[in-house]
Amino acid sequence: MPALAIEVRGVRRVYSSKKAPIVALDGIDLEVPTGEFFGLLGPNGAGKTTLIKILTTLLSPSSGTASVFGFDVEKDTKKIRRIMNMVAGGEQSGYGILSVREQLWMFTQFYGLAGAEGWRRVDELIEAVGLAEQRLQRVSTLSTGQRQKMNLARGLLNDPWILFLDEPTLGLDVAAARSLRELIVEWRAAVPGRTILLTTHYMAEADELCERIAIVDHGRILAIGSPDELKRRVQRESIFRIELDRLEGGAQALGRLPGVVSATAAAGNEADTDRQSVVMNLVLEDDGALGRVVGDLADRGSHILGLRKSEPTLEDVFVELVGRGFDEAGTDEPGPSAEAIA
Amino acid sequence: MTAMAGPAATGIDGARFDPSRTEGRGLADTLRSFKVAVLLGWKLEANWTDPFLFFIYSVAKPLSSALILVVMLEVIGGPAGKAFRPFVIVGSALWAFVLNGVAGLAWSVLEDRERYRVLKYVYVSPADFLTVLVGRGVARIGVGLAGVVITLMVGVIALGVPFDIGRVDWPMLVAVSALGLASIIGLGLLMAGVCIQTRQESWSYPEAFAGALFLVTGAVFPLVVLPAPVQIVGLLTPLTWWIAGTRQALFPGGPGSVGGPGSAFASTFGHPDPSAGEIVLALLVTGTVVTLAAVAVFRLSDRRAKRTGLYDRTTGS
Ligand SMILES: Nc1ncnc2c1ncn2[C@@H]1O[C@H](COP(=O)(O)OP(=O)(O)OP(=O)(O)O)[C@@H](O)[C@H]1O
Ligand SMILES: [Mg+2]
Repeated sequence: MPALAIEVRGVRRVYSSKKAPIVALDGIDLEVPTGEFFGLLGPNGAGKTTLIKILTTLLSPSSGTASVFGFDVEKDTKKIRRIMNMVAGGEQSGYGILSVREQLWMFTQFYGLAGAEGWRRVDELIEAVGLAEQRLQRVSTLSTGQRQKMNLARGLLNDPWILFLDEPTLGLDVAAARSLRELIVEWRAAVPGRTILLTTHYMAEADELCERIAIVDHGRILAIGSPDELKRRVQRESIFRIELDRLEGGAQALGRLPGVVSATAAAGNEADTDRQSVVMNLVLEDDGALGRVVGDLADRGSHILGLRKSEPTLEDVFVELVGRGFDEAGTDEPGPSAEAIA
Repeated sequence: MTAMAGPAATGIDGARFDPSRTEGRGLADTLRSFKVAVLLGWKLEANWTDPFLFFIYSVAKPLSSALILVVMLEVIGGPAGKAFRPFVIVGSALWAFVLNGVAGLAWSVLEDRERYRVLKYVYVSPADFLTVLVGRGVARIGVGLAGVVITLMVGVIALGVPFDIGRVDWPMLVAVSALGLASIIGLGLLMAGVCIQTRQESWSYPEAFAGALFLVTGAVFPLVVLPAPVQIVGLLTPLTWWIAGTRQALFPGGPGSVGGPGSAFASTFGHPDPSAGEIVLALLVTGTVVTLAAVAVFRLSDRRAKRTGLYDRTTGS
């Protein structure tokens, strides 16, 4: 098995449109080793789906090359299709008139499984994704969550080496989304070497599932690394949240200590009068400065009630890199209303 | 859960990342996809679950259009119109069939893409898309065939069309039917190729195309009434020969639709009406050309769709 599941070199994709051409991918280079759970994060229109379409042989790149397990997406399409599969979220796909079993079996035939083997595989997967009760139900009567489970089962029919998941939990409720994530994790863990490429808008989902993440915007990769590596990029200082029974001299006293960048009372602390405690946010040059702070506090007769290091979230990374949060994503160009206000 | 491990349970563990999995089984795979596509088409198209709908679409429609034409003939042509009854019945019955085949195949593309949203999943599977579409077309044609037979039977029984089963030219019927079906699928593929490219609501294109063919193929009136250049278009269309051949095989000696005194056929070939052999030959030639052209157009369209990204496009997106 090749060491690289995905290899993308200088891929550009330009869509023609009536106005100006749209550059969906603007020179992507990417390597995903076999067996990795890889994530693509980016605002709407960043080019995530476009990259997945290229890798799943639905779309040709305008320039550059891409290969899946060493097979070129343009030349070896049939080979790639046999060992890859794709599941997209947020859509209701399926022939409504067929039963869940029939719908899935049909796809086993497209993947060349023998008739009986196909039925066996379908029943196994229906069981695995928890649709046993609905197996004979018409596809049109399934709930969104059930449909998505069926869609996942379809994506696993050919026992793919690599699974592409394009926002698989979009539109699902919390429980359905979690159960889908669990199924995905379980599937990957069952056989070492199974590779997943996931796109999502849910930061927590990416953080929980992905070993490595690429943050994309405007068709370019802005940063790539493990969730921890990415978080470390935005965290140049150590941030602690400290709770004390009392503090003589106030925050200013702590702020003057060597190695302390700033010390501020945590928001909402004032209101917390009945607990009779002081909560502070401490920004230190590095973790080493903590010792001096603790020593100094003891000298002042303060007792530490709680101490917690605050970690940046992926969202912090995202906001720093993309320059905007998910809420305002896609509105990077001020519209007429914004101009009117300015 | 062991099921997630996949086919381990079925004894092909270890072969999981076997490079040979990237190779298919050639013809066996094609046949498998074809078979399941026919089955799927049958389920989706036949409305079997609703015999009433099936009756409306596959029997009542062709039958009522035949009846309208018969009545019109009677009114305009008087008693002489009676000789044209078999002509009209066969034409109407076959026409429903053409709609099923030509428009139906193209509709499969639109339905899969926009209504069922499975087109991209079929497309990312190793199944050959053309094979799958042809399979669905064959199913549609099977459904249409039931309508043809019922319409013809009703015509014979209710309208007193003189039909003598002993006089049917069976070899010719088999030959023109086989070639005709292939041509219908060819034309359907051609339309499907066009529909892949369309971005907007294009459900009416296939029907409009089929409707245009209706006029030039001699389905309900002989070609000779049309201007000569239009007659030539008709003569180049395999459906014309298929309909003429079917008429000739079922009702030998009845009025033909292709030639006649003063027709483009007569002035081109020097005799007024085509012989049975000429009909089959013409059907073979035009059918082959259309089918080859259709496959080429479809493949080109397929490639272009991949270049422009049309496979998961839906109306209004
Ligand atoms: N078929 C198409 N024709 C024209 N433009 C397109 C087409 N598909 C995508 N685009 C454009 O390409 C850009 C990238 O789209 P893409 O769907 O890859 O983004 P995405 O990262 O998946 O976004 P989202 O998070 O909203 O799913 C967008 O500007 C989009 O409008
Ligand atoms: Mg997307």
